[in-house]
Amino acid sequence: MPPTTAPPATGARPAAAPGAGPDVRPGAGTEPAAEPATGAPAGTVQELHRAGRLAADYPAVAGLLTDLAGADLTRAGQLLARLDPAEVLRAHPDTPALTVAVTGHGTLSMLTGPLTAELARHGLLLRPALTDFDSYVFELGDPGSALYAADPDLALCVLDPAVIADELPTPWGPDDVDRVFAAKLALLDGLAGRFAATARGVLVLNTLPLPRRLTGQLIDHGSRARLGATWRDGNAALLRLTERHPALVVLDLDPLVADGVAASDPRQDTYAKAHLSAELLAGYAREVGHLARNVAGKAKKVLVLDLDGTTWGGILGEDGAAGIEVSDSYRGTAHRNFQRVAKQLGAQGVLLAVVSKNELEPVREVLRDHPDMTLREDDLVRVVANWRPKHDNLTELAGALNLGVDSFVFVDDSPYECGLVRHALPGVAVVEVDGEPALHVPKLLADGWFDTRALTAEDRTRVAKYRDELVRKDFLDSFDSIADYLRELRVSVRLAAVTEPAADAARVAQLTLRTNQFNLTTERLQPPQLHGLLADPAATVLAVHARDRFGDNGLVGAAILRRDGAALHIDNFLLSCRVFARGIELACLSAVLAHARATGAAEVFGAYRPTAKNRMVASFYPRNGFQPHAEDGTRRTFRHDLTEIPAPPAHIDLTASLEG
Amino acid sequence: MIPTDNFLDDFLDLVRDETGLPVTAEQTGLDLDQVPGWDSVYLLSLVVALERRTGRQLSMPDVLAVTSLRDIYALAVAS
Repeated sequence: MPPTTAPPATGARPAAAPGAGPDVRPGAGTEPAAEPATGAPAGTVQELHRAGRLAADYPAVAGLLTDLAGADLTRAGQLLARLDPAEVLRAHPDTPALTVAVTGHGTLSMLTGPLTAELARHGLLLRPALTDFDSYVFELGDPGSALYAADPDLALCVLDPAVIADELPTPWGPDDVDRVFAAKLALLDGLAGRFAATARGVLVLNTLPLPRRLTGQLIDHGSRARLGATWRDGNAALLRLTERHPALVVLDLDPLVADGVAASDPRQDTYAKAHLSAELLAGYAREVGHLARNVAGKAKKVLVLDLDGTTWGGILGEDGAAGIEVSDSYRGTAHRNFQRVAKQLGAQGVLLAVVSKNELEPVREVLRDHPDMTLREDDLVRVVANWRPKHDNLTELAGALNLGVDSFVFVDDSPYECGLVRHALPGVAVVEVDGEPALHVPKLLADGWFDTRALTAEDRTRVAKYRDELVRKDFLDSFDSIADYLRELRVSVRLAAVTEPAADAARVAQLTLRTNQFNLTTERLQPPQLHGLLADPAATVLAVHARDRFGDNGLVGAAILRRDGAALHIDNFLLSCRVFARGIELACLSAVLAHARATGAAEVFGAYRPTAKNRMVASFYPRNGFQPHAEDGTRRTFRHDLTEIPAPPAHIDLTASLEG
Repeated sequence: MIPTDNFLDDFLDLVRDETGLPVTAEQTGLDLDQVPGWDSVYLLSLVVALERRTGRQLSMPDVLAVTSLRDIYALAVAS
């Protein structure tokens, strides 16, 4: 029998060091779905609904939705949509909830079910703010509208071909489309600007599919070609709006339609004014689900691959290195395509790792010496090949990388291994491939697990940095004491105010969105909000850069300071999980306190807002000379009187320039 | 096709599955607005589900003009 319980906590973790938090295992985050259900396990959302337990068992819902698709997922979503979000939050106050405003041109009631389900699938709770039919111009244009009053995290403005078609004369030609599209683009440009000036969230528009029912109305190929060109020009201009509006995302619906989803249903289109098909809205909702996941700071970071049958064809242990298929055979071509896509994701900052039931040495030889392999050792942060249960290996890998295992996506062709990982680690996204390797790529990319708003320079070198980190850990094992290790590590830290034009701003915003553990208040900052802080004379944004004998860690932390008379407030302080427990946090705090005193401040306040994942920093301020000052249920404030400032750790070489 | 209680039970099961509402046989005569929890979006998904189940296309203008679940049932079982 396979082991079916959660694995023991054997993962490597950084040992405590000066300035480190209490003994909380990094990576031991509480993924909602991992919490024990309170009642007997229910098999379906429908059963929970009938038993009246959907709100009480909401943490179990994500797991129940994992294997649903299409109409089944929509139906589950419709049941979930009838829940009062407040009731779920009363039962589970830690559930990450997002307010999503929905507006647009046509009837969008068919979107609510899929949207609710897609967010629930990620462990998120949808707080919908629905607007009236065809009210998007008013809702986005009027700063006093209900949409803005709802203060949405995401505002979906769903556009459809009727936005253009409804305004065409009879008869019409390509020039009419050109004129109407241009007017709509100007309108949407203005609405995006109004949104950015009024709201803090992200506005989501989409491209307009070009239906045959329009192209077919023009009978000469010349006119039809001009219509096609004009329409694509319009969509391209829509996509390019994102270059000028940082708070805007435009979802391209063409790839969904190209993969065979009908853009509209003529009857729903005509009678219900639902101008996009239910299937296309479901595909749209899936993309929004991943965007929501990203906005909620729950982005996936690691892609873990099985080897035999997944990364290559055949079984290494039986077929030998010469027998596995990775290149020009039918099967080999499919696996090579899969390796190329994995490598492509890796080049954009997704950490790639291997967890395989194999002997380690032959695996290493293939990765190093096989002439036809696409993926190489350098592409991977770690290669784990042994005979232990895969969920134990995944947990241990998460510990070594200092990441939550819920940031993992795991691909395997064995239903047994997939099932076991799903059971033991419900926070891991499992992509189950099968014996048809041509489908590996579409299955991996069916979900935008790694979708992100923007890539930074950090992303492109992340694999190397994490691999350096694993070398550091092996190095750590060779020392008797942490102090010896830290001295030999030769850490140098540069703490500097971020100023406009701010090359570091995108990375700082990204850190606030990705960092969960060493994050004192977990206040997420989208790039526009960060630029707002940079423009505020009372605020200072500090960036923490670190390097050591193994290389440059890059921009690894940030602090948000606010000056209010003789008081300095540390509104947030965060540090990448790659580098904590090395005294960097204490060095930075010491520099901030010294700076406060040198610039005439009488006191410094630090805030801590507890979340499910940042308990390791609950005592960060009190351990470093701060006294409890105030507590309001969601936030604790601590005060430092600046009489005794802790010295920076002796092993750190600190350079600070805190003036903006 | 002759409507019988069996068909009505099937129909009610389908309505309950699609909408999640605990609709009873007695409520089939009510104005849709009077059915507790009813939302106009259910009508659209119900048409899709009924067409899938019966393999026949319903007249959408007729369905959109109904006032009660019994009317939908009548359209679904009409020959």
